[in-house]
Amino acid sequence: MNRFPVRAALIFAAAGLLALFAAACGSGEDAPKGAKTMSFELTDAGCVPNSAKAPAGGLTFEVENAGTSKVTELEVLDGDTVLGEVENLSDGISGSFSLTLEQGEYTLYCPGGDDEKGTLTIAGKLQTENSPQVEGAISQYRDYLEKNTAELVTSTEPFVAAVEAGDVKKAQSLYAAARIPYERIEPVAESFGDLDPRIDARENDVPDSEFGGFHRIEKALWVEDTTAGMAPVAKQLLIDVKDLQRKVKTVELQAVQIANGANELLGEVSASKITGEEERYSHIDLVDFEANVEGAEAAFEAVEPLLSDTDPKLAKEIEAQFGKVYASLKPYRRGDGFVSYTELTQADTRKLAQEIDALAELLSQVPAQIVRE
Amino acid sequence: MNPITRRRLLASAGAGAAGIGLGGATGYLVGHETAEAQSDGTGSVPFCGEHQAGIDTPAQDRLHFAAFDLVTENPADLRELLREWSQAAAEMTAGDMIGDANDVELAPPDDTGETVGLLPSRLTVTIGFGPSLFERRGLGLQRKRPAALRDIPPLPGDELSEEEGGGDICVQACSDDPQVAFHAVRNLARIGRGTVVMRWSQLGFGRTSSTSRGQETPRNLMGFKDGTANIRAEDTDAMRRFVWVGDDGNPGWMRGGSYMVTRRIRMLLEVWDRSALEDQEQTIGRHKYSGAALGESSEFEPLDLDATQKGQPTIPVDAHVRLASSSANAGERILRRGYSFTDGVDESLGELEAGLFFICFQRDPERQFVAIQRQLGASDALGEYIKHVSSAIFAVPPGAARGGYVGETLLS
Repeated sequence: MNRFPVRAALIFAAAGLLALFAAACGSGEDAPKGAKTMSFELTDAGCVPNSAKAPAGGLTFEVENAGTSKVTELEVLDGDTVLGEVENLSDGISGSFSLTLEQGEYTLYCPGGDDEKGTLTIAGKLQTENSPQVEGAISQYRDYLEKNTAELVTSTEPFVAAVEAGDVKKAQSLYAAARIPYERIEPVAESFGDLDPRIDARENDVPDSEFGGFHRIEKALWVEDTTAGMAPVAKQLLIDVKDLQRKVKTVELQAVQIANGANELLGEVSASKITGEEERYSHIDLVDFEANVEGAEAAFEAVEPLLSDTDPKLAKEIEAQFGKVYASLKPYRRGDGFVSYTELTQADTRKLAQEIDALAELLSQVPAQIVRE
Repeated sequence: MNPITRRRLLASAGAGAAGIGLGGATGYLVGHETAEAQSDGTGSVPFCGEHQAGIDTPAQDRLHFAAFDLVTENPADLRELLREWSQAAAEMTAGDMIGDANDVELAPPDDTGETVGLLPSRLTVTIGFGPSLFERRGLGLQRKRPAALRDIPPLPGDELSEEEGGGDICVQACSDDPQVAFHAVRNLARIGRGTVVMRWSQLGFGRTSSTSRGQETPRNLMGFKDGTANIRAEDTDAMRRFVWVGDDGNPGWMRGGSYMVTRRIRMLLEVWDRSALEDQEQTIGRHKYSGAALGESSEFEPLDLDATQKGQPTIPVDAHVRLASSSANAGERILRRGYSFTDGVDESLGELEAGLFFICFQRDPERQFVAIQRQLGASDALGEYIKHVSSAIFAVPPGAARGGYVGETLLS
């Protein structure tokens, strides 16, 4: 799933606005500021009109079922991606949603109608009106992204060189350092199609023939105890991380997505680090764990100024809980790294999981607070 | 602003409700005016009141029980937790969604949503405090601990597992719909994240007691009617005498509350199922199908403990009903409110892991549950077919006043 779409600059995640105002359905007073209203009817024919034009910017779609049982919803799509929709409109029922759209051709989709698909043409330049605070948050996080992708390249280079040289021991010792910068920014990497699976897929996540990247080499180093056959895999890995470094420079960032990225990183911790599934051969899961938390913290710190007006108490609680998470990791620290995942007891992982849960529950409230800004 | 509600969803068929698609959900009546006794789903039980609901409420069909441990010793955190829990419980028992942010696309909804479209289903949420809560020094509650709130001492028949049992705080969620009960525990656990962690939990799929005269006596997994002689909520004298805490020797904050004991009782069903009908009836002391005591012909005829047949007691000396009866226990009784459970397979035996999650309420656990269990455990013929695998005790404070919260009498 593209969490950071490069093309569609849906300022303030279209869907988010839609939801915020849905509660006041019918009152209309909560439509986004300056949004233009477009009215559609659902009939047996489909969307009426099924061809429309509008200027770039905020748009509110008001949709009414004018007496059809065949069509009950209207969607706006960009290619195959649904940007906004209203469903379950039976005869006489109306509903609305809002989107911010940039220039381009979009599809109006009224499934069940005689003519299901129509066209929505958006012309003109989108006025982006991010406050300086929002711009500050975005630029702070962009710096973090670029710093970490650069570090990813510089730490992957010697790792790849060791693999190509057939030095198992050396490659093993360089593995963790190369993983850290990636784990800090993984949600962004995931927005570039198959780049994340190429770099970071685990066995069984992808067909055997496509299993490459870090974890393929991890398996060779720790299970097969050889680098045989790994040179091309390593070479491709370096190409892919360099590709990632290039691509993040062009990624469109939104404050809300940065905040969501923090949640996703903690979701990663819960789903695959606490369970020991991520680094199933090297067992350096706690290294990834810490990197995910650091990445979440960096994302949170970037957007934190946006919270200070809306919910300063939440910001304080989150800061305190980050402290607790780091403290819970401390007993497992050994030198630069951590104990092997295999040394953790169930009581240990339970304690870690609970601290992460407590933090994630708080962090999950941040994106909505930012939109309220 | 009209928040999305479990009942009102159809009316707000705007984008926020998109995808939920609730046909025909409007038009039924829900609210406090509906009779508690309605077990068809429409009944709702008010959360606030003199006593907490879920004790004298006619036993609902399903249970989800959970015990939590505090991860903080800050009394303000505990107060906040109980306030939030009470608020959420009041919303859920009324059949409403929790909170008001359930349609913000960018925020996780306040309510997890699995009861949308479901009826209130007589949900009750009953909160209690375990002995360990009063030992957390930071809370400063040591001196408020009731003398009656002590861990249940070792009893005959115990084979307690260390992981289960105990807990600082418990939540008993009962409902006629299993998903409504589950939803309550899940959401309270979520609200409590960072303040409490779940220690253990138990699902119960069928009530094994009737607590109201309007209810038929259900059967437990042994196939016998259970709770024929239970205290009924309508018997307010017995409730006062045996269940509700008064002033005697109890701290003021417990007045109107009760003490809850839970025991996870594993039934050795494979062994039980192999015993002859006559043995089963002699073990319990009742006829299996009618529920009548041995020697009687209908369920509610009183036990005749003196009756003999061919020189032998009609109800054997080691029969369960005899040993558990109030006349064998200095007149003491308890309010039983347990549920049948099954939790998959007993790995070590390849047998059904099933039995009774026993819950009882009383004024004085030592004089009531513990004394009765001692009496039973020593010679109860039923002991051969059951073992107690977990144990817990909780002080259940009185109900929340309007605008107040459960536990306010303890913490304010």
